[in-house]
Formats: sequence, C-alpha cells, structure tokens
Amino acid sequence: MGSIRTLHLLKPNFTKNGIFPLPLTLRSYVMKSSLLEPPNVPRLSETARISLTPQEIEDFAPKIRQVIDWFGQLQNVDLQSIKPAIRADTEGDNLRGDVPEKFENIEALISAVPGFQEPYIKVPKVY
Amino acid sequence: MLSTLQTPRLLRFPTFSIKCLSTSLPLPTPLPSTTPPPQSQILTTRKSLLSREISAVDLATTFLTRLRHTEPHLKSFLYVSDVVLKEAEEVDRKIRDNNEELGPLAGVLIGVKDNIVTCDMPSTAGSKILENYIPPFDATVVEKIRKKGAIVIGKTNMDEFGMGSTTEGSAYQVTANPWDLSRVPGGSSGGSAAAVSARQCMVSLGSDTGGSVRQPASFCGVVGLKPTYGRVSRYGLVAYASSLDVIGCFGSSVADAGILLHAISGHDKFDATSSKREVPDFASQFIASDQLDSKPLKGLRVGLIRETIEDGVDPEVISSIRGAASHLEELGCTVTEVSLPSFSLGLPAYYILASSESSSNLSRYDGVRYGKQVVAEELNSLYGESRAEGLGSEVKMRILMGTYGLSAGYYDAYYKRAQQVRTLVRESFRAALDENDILISPAAPSAAYKIGEKKNDPLSMYAGDIMTVNVNLAGLPALVLPCGFVDNKSVSLPVGIQMIGAAFEEEKLLKVGHIFEQTLQGCSFIPPLVADELAC
Repeated sequence: MGSIRTLHLLKPNFTKNGIFPLPLTLRSYVMKSSLLEPPNVPRLSETARISLTPQEIEDFAPKIRQVIDWFGQLQNVDLQSIKPAIRADTEGDNLRGDVPEKFENIEALISAVPGFQEPYIKVPKVY
Repeated sequence: MLSTLQTPRLLRFPTFSIKCLSTSLPLPTPLPSTTPPPQSQILTTRKSLLSREISAVDLATTFLTRLRHTEPHLKSFLYVSDVVLKEAEEVDRKIRDNNEELGPLAGVLIGVKDNIVTCDMPSTAGSKILENYIPPFDATVVEKIRKKGAIVIGKTNMDEFGMGSTTEGSAYQVTANPWDLSRVPGGSSGGSAAAVSARQCMVSLGSDTGGSVRQPASFCGVVGLKPTYGRVSRYGLVAYASSLDVIGCFGSSVADAGILLHAISGHDKFDATSSKREVPDFASQFIASDQLDSKPLKGLRVGLIRETIEDGVDPEVISSIRGAASHLEELGCTVTEVSLPSFSLGLPAYYILASSESSSNLSRYDGVRYGKQVVAEELNSLYGESRAEGLGSEVKMRILMGTYGLSAGYYDAYYKRAQQVRTLVRESFRAALDENDILISPAAPSAAYKIGEKKNDPLSMYAGDIMTVNVNLAGLPALVLPCGFVDNKSVSLPVGIQMIGAAFEEEKLLKVGHIFEQTLQGCSFIPPLVADELAC
C-alpha cells in the first residue's frame, strides 16, 4: 500500500473546466518507474489478430503508450503479501453438473455463420 | 402529477416547437415545494390497466408516438420493435378474458441495451462487427421480463462493447442528452438512460462494468441501479470484462428501478457466478411519502467518501452532494466523512483488468461463426481483416492494451498487481461499511459535458470514471439518483448522488434512496424536452 505522498502524486489531475492528463513532471515520474519494454503496437496487433493500417499504428501508438505508462504507477505500490482477487468474490462458484443439454435453436445458430457449407463451417486454409 | 398515463391523443399529439428542441434549453423556473415526488410508472401502469382506466394499446401508442417524435433528436434507439402494439393487444386480451394471470410487468415498456441479447431483434453491442446479428436466444434477464408480461420496446444505443463513457463510441450514432442536445448522455448505457429520461420508455436495462449505468443516470437525471456482482445473471450479456460486468436498471423513480431489479434477479444455472441467495421483495421498501415518520432514517450511519469531494471535482457537484448529505441528516441520518485509502489506485487497476479481460472476451469476434466476415485467402488474414473492419478505434486500443498487459513477462507487473489492488479496494470498502450503513459520493466529477469534448483524449475520459470503478472492483451494489443541478449558462444539468451498500444489501439502498427521493422538495427531474407534454 503506497504512502499518502505517493497517492497524492498518482491522483488524476482534475480541474474545474475538465479533466486533463497528468502534467509533464508527473508523467516523467511515472515513465521512469516503468522498467518494462514499452508496447510494440505492430507486434501487439499481430498477437491480437487485428490488421492495423500504418495510419492507425501511428495514431494509436502514443495513446497506448500514454495509458500503459499511466498503468505503470501500480508498480510503485507495496503489494507484498496482498492476495490477488480474480473477481469480487461476493459468492463462490455455483457450478452446475456436467450434463449435456440440447440447444433448441440450432437453426438460428447456423444461420448466423457467414460461411456455412453443410455440415462444415468454411474457412480459408491455414498457411 | 408526474404520471405519463394521460389520455392518449394520438391524432392530436402536440407538436414540439423548435424552441423546445434547441440545443440551449431555457433554465427551468424554480418549482414550488409542493412539486409531487416521482411515482412508480410500473405500479401506476398495473393499477390503470387492471381498473380499465387505460388499455395497454393506448399506453403503448402514447410512448411510441413520443419516441418517434423525439428520436430524430435523441437517437437513443438502435432498433425499435415492430410488434409493440401486437404485444400490447395480447395484454389487453388477457385483461378482457380475465382467465389468465397477468404478470407483474404486464404492459410495461422496457428499453434494453443492445449488448443484452434478444432473439427477435438484432443485437450489435454498438459494434459494426455484429451488424444485423440476430442472436439464437434471449438473455436470461430478457426471458424473465417477458415472462412477467413486459414489452421490449427496442434496443438502446451504447458505446461499442461497453467501452466508453459518452455513447460517442457507438459505431452507429451518437445519442444526445435530453437536458441539452449538445451534450452527451454519458455511457456506455447512454441510450438506456436517455430513453428513460425522455420518457420514450418506462424503464430500461443497461450494463455496468465501471460505472456505465450510474454515470449516465447522473448525466440524464434518472435513477440508475447497479446490483451486487452475482445478483443478476450475466447469461446473454455480451461480455466485456467478466469479473466486473453486471446488468443494471434505469427508472424515473427508485421504486421502478427496484421493481425491475426484483424481476431480473436470481440464480441462473447458465451463469456460474450468479448467486443462489434468496431475492428479497425489493418492492416492499417503498412506503408512501405521507406515511413516513418525521425522521424515517433515524440511526442510519452514512459515510461521505472524502476522496470524492476534493479538488478537481466540479464545485457545484460537491455542493449538490453536500446538499444531499444535509437532506439525509434532516431525515435522521448521521453523516460523517470517511477515507478510502486505496481509492485512487482503483482507476488504473480497473483499466488494466477491464482491457485485459476484454482482449480475451473479444477474441471470439473472428468472422468465423457470426458477425462481419471479410473474405481472405488465409485464415489469419480473415481474422485480422474482419476484426480491423468490424471493430472501432477505442475497442482496438483497449484490446491491444489488454494484450500487452497479459503478455508473458508482463502479467505479474500489470494484471496480477491490478488483482492485488482489487483486494485492497474490497477490504477498504469492507472496513468503511463496517462503520457505516451506506457510503455516498458523486457519480461523476462533473455534470454532462459537450459532445466531442473528450473524444481524442483517452486518459481524460478514463479519469471521469474515478467515482464509479472502485464499486465494480469490490462487486458492491450502488444506487444513483438525482439530487440537484449544475447551472451552466442557460442550461440546468442534473447531478446524481451515488449510494453504495454492502454486498447483497440492495434492499437497504432502495429504502434509503426511495425515502430521499420522496422527501426531496423543489426539484423536478423531467427534462424540458418532454416536460410540457407531461404537464398537460
């Protein structure tokens, strides 16, 4: 858990007329504290299977970098011995038995498939 | 009377003057303290239908007419049902025949956010990648409201896949705020909020991952209710961030939000995170205002979250919240300031978790089994091009950020640390709610801002979620209801107060919210756009 001083530095900078990103001095602080490699947008887009245009890469890169840097503030918080919570855990899992049930509206499922050639879903070959 | 159950005048429907629909609406004149509090449209509808004072068809016609008249200016709906009158006729037949039980929501017109699937209407989640997609099933919440006799009037506009706080992120259209058509209704459930605010429907369903019901409720001057995570089934809700998403309710009164919540709550075998806890009868909280004691909330401990009323929050918003706190004191509450030490960490933690989970959830939109497909010669190109063409910029950016956060070597630095912050946030709320019955805060740092104001600055838009995201991290219930106004030159914009409760304590929130609402004097939260018509 960070100190009050740390929290003051990390607070988003609100103003009366709107909400602005962190000022340059605070932004530098955040960037220095991030020791991980910055996001490589072309590589990320390949991993995420989204074909970006060069213009999109140029537009997205600074914005993504700015947000990832802002994420980096969590690395300066003392979280040792804090257990990660995968969700709110207001109640545990309520799993049902593994019993197959027939889905009634198979026709509607199939009609939504863009390339259906009975009984296959058609896709291009994998190179 | 603030009822919408006037005698329908389909053929002589009042024509709105250009003045009413101008972007700068006149300041409403101060109301006398005898302004009646909002009534439950659901209960009034039931009473009027059963007493044959009005028919379901006439009621549906009134709403459809208002919807069609205001829709060119508001653009709240992506799809309007073409069987509304047919379903209303069925309700009237049941009343006439008197031999079938009438469901508790019979004849109630409900808007449904477009990320909640409906098997007879397209469900796009505000995205082009699901353009014209007709789901093969109804979401559990839709099944429940239909079984209870409700009529789904249409599917409401939203930020694409729930990613946004203004509804400008919709791939189809921008919804306007009924209070000022040049301003945003909030998001991502902006369409649902605007539709209830403008009385295009009686109540509506939305979803809330980081504030997407509560913030638009504040911006549009309506009641928004986010239930405890697990209270309402997520089956049929298009997933954005599965550990944070919930389905919530909008109404023009706390009673309506509560009755709708009761209708959609409960365990669902198709949602492993849905709770088996019994659903209390939320409707039993709504005592008539003339039957209340002088201090009906005596003994209730209220904590005002200090971090939400500090520098940077609009001073008029702070003043509205402090006014609301005084009103709660007049009702018998003890209001003290409380601090949530991990509050400011919640925002980056939320965005790490949400973007990471969304990068996984949205990987299913690959052009293969449903949705937009771009023809390609090779499989990876099919995926890449279909997603490139079908997904909007904000969605693409969040997927990429999430992909980064979950990458090998980065998971511990980002996703895992965000999960640890979630534990901290949860514990700090638990501690505060041990000392207080409810916590209060604004729902947003400002009133509604102009369309286009935040579009190109992601951090600026994300920062506006500071009041709401921590509640999602902790999985707690929260109710937003209008409590005041911000006067902005010629426009009065509504401000909502957020009331936060412990897990599964929606009953308490609804009781407090209802009493607050019913005793609030001198405020009418009907936008000028429809106020003249409703006053007739």
